[in-house]
Amino acid sequence: MIRFLLLLIISILLLPHPAWSVDLKALIRKVEEQYMGLSSKSRMTLNIRSEHWERSLKMDAWSLGRDHFLVRIIEPSKERDVATLKVDKEVWNYLPKVDRVIKVPPSMMGGAWMGSHITNDDLVKANKIDEDYSFELIEESKKRYLIECIPKPDAVVVWGKIVYEILLPMEVPGTVSYFDEEMVKVRDMVFDDIKKIDGRFIPLRMTIQPIDDPEERTIIQYSDIDFNIKIGKSFFSLRNLKR
Amino acid sequence: MLLRLASRNLWRNRRRTLLTLSAMVVSLALLTLSLGVFSGMLVDILASTTEQYHGHLVITADDYLDDRDMYKNFSSDEQLLRKLETDEVVIGFSQRLRGFGLASHDESSYPVELLGIHPEMEKSVTNLHQQLAEGAYLSGNNGNGAVIGSSLAKKLKVSPGDELVFVTQAADGSIGNDLLIVRGIFRTGHSGHDNSLVLVPQQWLQKVMTLDGKIHEIAIAINAPLRAADYKPALATLLPQGLSITDWGELLPEMREAIASFDVSRLIFVIILYFATGLGILNTIFMSVMERTREFGILMALGLRPGQIKRLVLLESLLLGLIGTLLGLVCGLILSYYMSRFGIDLSTWITPITYAGGTMQPRLKAIFEYRNFIEPAYLLVVVSVLAGFFPARRAANLQPVQAIRED
Repeated sequence: MIRFLLLLIISILLLPHPAWSVDLKALIRKVEEQYMGLSSKSRMTLNIRSEHWERSLKMDAWSLGRDHFLVRIIEPSKERDVATLKVDKEVWNYLPKVDRVIKVPPSMMGGAWMGSHITNDDLVKANKIDEDYSFELIEESKKRYLIECIPKPDAVVVWGKIVYEILLPMEVPGTVSYFDEEMVKVRDMVFDDIKKIDGRFIPLRMTIQPIDDPEERTIIQYSDIDFNIKIGKSFFSLRNLKR
Repeated sequence: MLLRLASRNLWRNRRRTLLTLSAMVVSLALLTLSLGVFSGMLVDILASTTEQYHGHLVITADDYLDDRDMYKNFSSDEQLLRKLETDEVVIGFSQRLRGFGLASHDESSYPVELLGIHPEMEKSVTNLHQQLAEGAYLSGNNGNGAVIGSSLAKKLKVSPGDELVFVTQAADGSIGNDLLIVRGIFRTGHSGHDNSLVLVPQQWLQKVMTLDGKIHEIAIAINAPLRAADYKPALATLLPQGLSITDWGELLPEMREAIASFDVSRLIFVIILYFATGLGILNTIFMSVMERTREFGILMALGLRPGQIKRLVLLESLLLGLIGTLLGLVCGLILSYYMSRFGIDLSTWITPITYAGGTMQPRLKAIFEYRNFIEPAYLLVVVSVLAGFFPARRAANLQPVQAIRED
């Protein structure tokens, strides 16, 4: 009997500890979704600074769940109505000047989106962290969790590792660091300017900072954001992309 | 006296001499022919990339070639252009602006490399206008025509007259985009160029990329492509501060290696062939010396010194070498001329091969290169004299009395 109990205890100890990983996965998913809501409409300003220029884009964005996303430029006037539609894993751009919709080919997924430090791939994959990665808690305090995200063996992702900071008690993202396959840090995504909107905490500012180019960065500042608006999948169509 | 003696000796056994001579003639003729074809392939493969894209030399802003950063551009410089025009080595040059982006038609989009050119200037450096599979080349500096590679055209499913959308990030950070009309489609056989290269009018590209009046490079064609590296320093002195010049050997190190390795294989080829030929000559002379042992004994008894005997035999082999070389050269020239005029087309059996960054066309075609004739000819004479050396020494060392007694 004792032997049996001992065996039982040992086997339980040897089992991978599922409790934490489920928790972390759910936590990350919650944090990510909190940021998106079930659906949302927002106005944001993209401020992009590169070695040769700096510019600001004002845009409107709509989202439905994680898989539907539409964004349209309002300013500057030269690029007004340039728009991007993301449905599932595909991205289209609309160019009003030539009145054409262009589907972003797989080979260009790593390219910059609207000249910023966000890639097309970010748009497609960014919100799938909880599905593509496995998690380990590397630091826990009253102020934050630090979670290391390692891609699952079969996941098609561009990062070698992501270190995800979740600020407590609001449960919002803090600094998210992205590492390449050689485990060299490539960029930081910093979330701040946290406001309480519709009963949830939302960081209204997001800064993308490439590590090897300290002079460059993209800042996304939300000026207006509404959650759980009435919007259907039909809104996210190529027709509506052109408008 | 010795010369007359030598030539008479040579023709005594006419059949043997002619046989040896024919071996020499055939080996020299085939050697010059195959070297000519080799050189033809090499010039072909070099031309496939320099004359379809790079130019033999290229002037860029310092470091531009490292990453082709669009900001490493420069303004067109009239003074520099005039200097290039008057340079006697330079046969043509083309100012280009380069842009990378996405070309799209209907549902499909592919990454492309755009070269903004002046069509007339470009024709003096590259020969894409001669490789059109469909449509026509660009005609003016304005408009929004495009000449694109055949594989790209196939992927995008466009033919002349169709529209293309080009999207790129302009120099001011904005999203540069505009329509192009496909004018022509070129097919070079070089998969990289056929898959992604697009020629457009320079002004059009400058506008889309917001780089008015700017260019990225001046591609240069010269009259002796294989000597580009030799001409580089002289051309470099023409350049203003901030610009540098690069030759094709630096642009295409694999190509330079390929050409250097050709020189080595040429040497090996020559050695093998001449070793066999040399043995043939040695055999002929040796046999004739053996046959004439008695005769040499008598000559020596008459007062010919061993040195003179040696010289006589050497002269025979030299004479044989000279005649063989002369006839071989004539045959080689005729064969090479035929192969350069007509060549052999292999395109029924094989497709173009991309090798060392260039493309080998499926054809055999000889070119005339001075050294492909001079070196083998000179070597053949040397080989025949060397082959004569051993028999000559043997003849010179004969003891007159014993030699006369020999049957």
